Amino acid sequence: MKSLEEHIKEALKCVRCGACKSVCPSFDVRRREPSSPRGRVALIEASLKGEEGLGGMYVGHIKECTLCGSCLNNCPNGVDVPGLVMAARAEHVRREGLSPVASFALRNMLSSDRFMPWALKLASKLQGLFLKSSSVENGLVSRFSLPFIGGGRLLPELAGVFFMDRRHVRALSEAKGDSSKPRIGFFVGCGVNYLLPDIGESTVRVLKEAGAEVVVPSGQVCCGMPALSTGDVKTARSLALKNLEAFEQGEYDYIVTSCATCGHGLKNIFRELLSGEEDGMSARVERFSSRVKDITELLEGILSYKGRAGEGSGDRVVTYHDPCHLRKYQGISEEPRLLLEKTGLRFKGMKNPCKCCGLGGGLAFSNYELSMEIARKKAEGVRGCGADVVATACPGCIIQLKDALHRYGVRAKVVHVVELL
Amino acid sequence: MLSDTVKSELERIAGTANVSFAREDLICYSYDATNNPVAPDAVVFPGGAEEVSLILKMANSERFPVVPRGAGTGFTGGSLPVEGGVVLSTERMRSIRGIDTENLTADVEPGVVTGELQSEVEGLGLFYPPDPTSLKFSTIGGNIAECAGGPRALKYGVTRDYVLGLEVVLPTGDIIMTGTKKTVKGVVGYDLTRLVVGSEGTLGVVTRAFLRLLPLPEATRTMLVKFSSLEDAARAVSAIISARIIPSTLEIMDSVSIRCVDEFAKIGLSGVEAVLLIEVDGREDGVERDVADVERICKENRSVEFRVAADRFEVKDLWKVRRSISPALKRIKPTKLNEDVVVPRSRLVELISGIQDIARKREVVIASFGHAGDGNIHVNVMVDGNDPREARAGGDAVRDIFDLTVALGGTISGEHGVGITKAPYISMELTDQDIEAMKRIKRALDPSGVLNPGKIFPSPDTGAPRG
Repeated sequence: MKSLEEHIKEALKCVRCGACKSVCPSFDVRRREPSSPRGRVALIEASLKGEEGLGGMYVGHIKECTLCGSCLNNCPNGVDVPGLVMAARAEHVRREGLSPVASFALRNMLSSDRFMPWALKLASKLQGLFLKSSSVENGLVSRFSLPFIGGGRLLPELAGVFFMDRRHVRALSEAKGDSSKPRIGFFVGCGVNYLLPDIGESTVRVLKEAGAEVVVPSGQVCCGMPALSTGDVKTARSLALKNLEAFEQGEYDYIVTSCATCGHGLKNIFRELLSGEEDGMSARVERFSSRVKDITELLEGILSYKGRAGEGSGDRVVTYHDPCHLRKYQGISEEPRLLLEKTGLRFKGMKNPCKCCGLGGGLAFSNYELSMEIARKKAEGVRGCGADVVATACPGCIIQLKDALHRYGVRAKVVHVVELL
Repeated sequence: MLSDTVKSELERIAGTANVSFAREDLICYSYDATNNPVAPDAVVFPGGAEEVSLILKMANSERFPVVPRGAGTGFTGGSLPVEGGVVLSTERMRSIRGIDTENLTADVEPGVVTGELQSEVEGLGLFYPPDPTSLKFSTIGGNIAECAGGPRALKYGVTRDYVLGLEVVLPTGDIIMTGTKKTVKGVVGYDLTRLVVGSEGTLGVVTRAFLRLLPLPEATRTMLVKFSSLEDAARAVSAIISARIIPSTLEIMDSVSIRCVDEFAKIGLSGVEAVLLIEVDGREDGVERDVADVERICKENRSVEFRVAADRFEVKDLWKVRRSISPALKRIKPTKLNEDVVVPRSRLVELISGIQDIARKREVVIASFGHAGDGNIHVNVMVDGNDPREARAGGDAVRDIFDLTVALGGTISGEHGVGITKAPYISMELTDQDIEAMKRIKRALDPSGVLNPGKIFPSPDTGAPRG
């Protein structure tokens, strides 16, 4: 990983022109300078220079970034503010340690391939005690006020049986040796495994329809992005290694994910995270990362998926939300739209489709109210275009958009593109 | 430093949530696009004229500086608290109070982002033309204070041409209304509107602006024309205007700017010596004729390629390129001496070849681009400020450029204002009497000198530090 000092050298290219302010989702809500990307650069520079008097507010401001990458995409000097913010968070964790809740969540739950499933399975059984089904949208709202969870928040329901635990998925853990078909290793990711297993089912089904052999390697764990965005580089690195090893057990033409964030992690962040490890590591990472494809990229661009035209009804309107990690960090925006054309639904674009939904960078956990204010514009965009269905390509965005549409009273379903194929 | 009484009084006036003394806020309100940070002692976010008035009255009795700030995107340090005190941010005053589609006027608060006002009025088929490059993030208040212009100035004029009237809080705290709210005509009393527009936040704080709108042109065409020499491009500019075509935009980019921005946007411009970005607007049939005429004139002046943007996405791409030049120049050298000189457009060729001579003579890289159509060129002398030879050569080059500009009958700043970075140079253009007249106005309106001190006029001990 680049150190904070190295990032700061990059950040010196920032001339404070302010162009980033016009695209930053948290600045758009806050409208105060410390919530802008250039403000964060100034604050992090000051902190590194040992400026006195920086405290909780400083930490709050660096946590407000959703790491969406809009500023980086719009910066004439290519200042990587999200990278700088992540480095600053890592530095903060190095100095102050993780909060007990974050530490427990990241180090014990997400990083374990045994404890996490066990704990969540228990939670899956108990969720009905505290939460009840929402009457308007799939998901749960709290029966009474719970710590950490504000009233009215629409929470995703934990899957009854997690995707990776399903018998037919476990049967896919090893390749069959059919060399006529392209062999795809499916990286499931936590969102799909625990919360939205239907996306996993659709992914496997559509890949088979497209003539591929699907393998779901066991031993894969969380991609590490939640840990990294919290500043826990150590955990992120150990998760990356576990995943690398899990996928080195087999031979794959491609490694696919249905999660934009996992995709960004596996394609881009692994290279940075694992650089400087032992000899031969960079070749291993390169071999892995260069095979990673987003599901929409694989279906549209490589497998030339034909779709099952004519099944959808042309009177339902679908719109598309661009996940930041897909569009801004992987350059994928056409493929999902082309796939949607094959669903038979009528496509209508929403206003600002590529504006961040507000979930990213841990903001939905560290500052739920701000996260929901950012999502308000998304909800208005959906309302404005009159869509019945919002398709996107990231479980994180789906969870956030469902919550936002519920909160702002917009009636539309939110699904992953592959669920419509 | 502010006394505890002042601090608690500020909180009482604006509300505790709207006043900050926190280090984090002081850092973030210490800079603008000159990147020469000076931290204030407090940041206040007033909600309207009454609060601004109370703050200024207290500033007069307690003697502390008040510095108005919009989005902090100025190029000359106009919003920097060079003498400390309170930064007065307009970020909370950001509502569009009304758009009058019958009288074609808008009533807005100063913190409204110019681009947001534009998309709002364009949705109603109306048009607010001033388009500083920073329009997506700078504010109406800041645009008024600096009298911002932009590419469209050629055909449509600058901010001052669209301000009908203002609600202004004077430095002493009196709230006044200048000009009119909804009429184009109005000659009762002095034209204080014009006095306040472009006064760089030294004569008053604008708390509400009444703006003139136009009907949105029916059609626009955007063209990109490549040339193999800068002089050819400059000659084409003069020829277009002489042919009585007034494009809404006529922008020039030299080879240094092109190289820089091509690195960022990768639009296949490398190797080109000069580019004109031309936009014409008006009625559908009229713009087609203009495009044909412009193409013919460019060819007569030895253009090597002529392209019309096919759709709005291409238009957006072309503009993004143009708007990215200024910040992207930092790729060449760390220090950018950013000047925005203007000459009568008949002298443009002389200015451009003169600047190239200066670059050779002083051995510095100079990037020139900008609003060729109205004679306003952004001249950026690129140096490494930490290298004493380069720093000196850069300073000399700037002085040469100003000498040349004044000799050609021009002005040393067309858009950015004076602020602190140009203060040492104003006497190259203004006589002592000119400056004294301005100072008398300043003293009359701001006897205690509390509003945005240290700007425009060079300090007696030879001027403020350079950006």
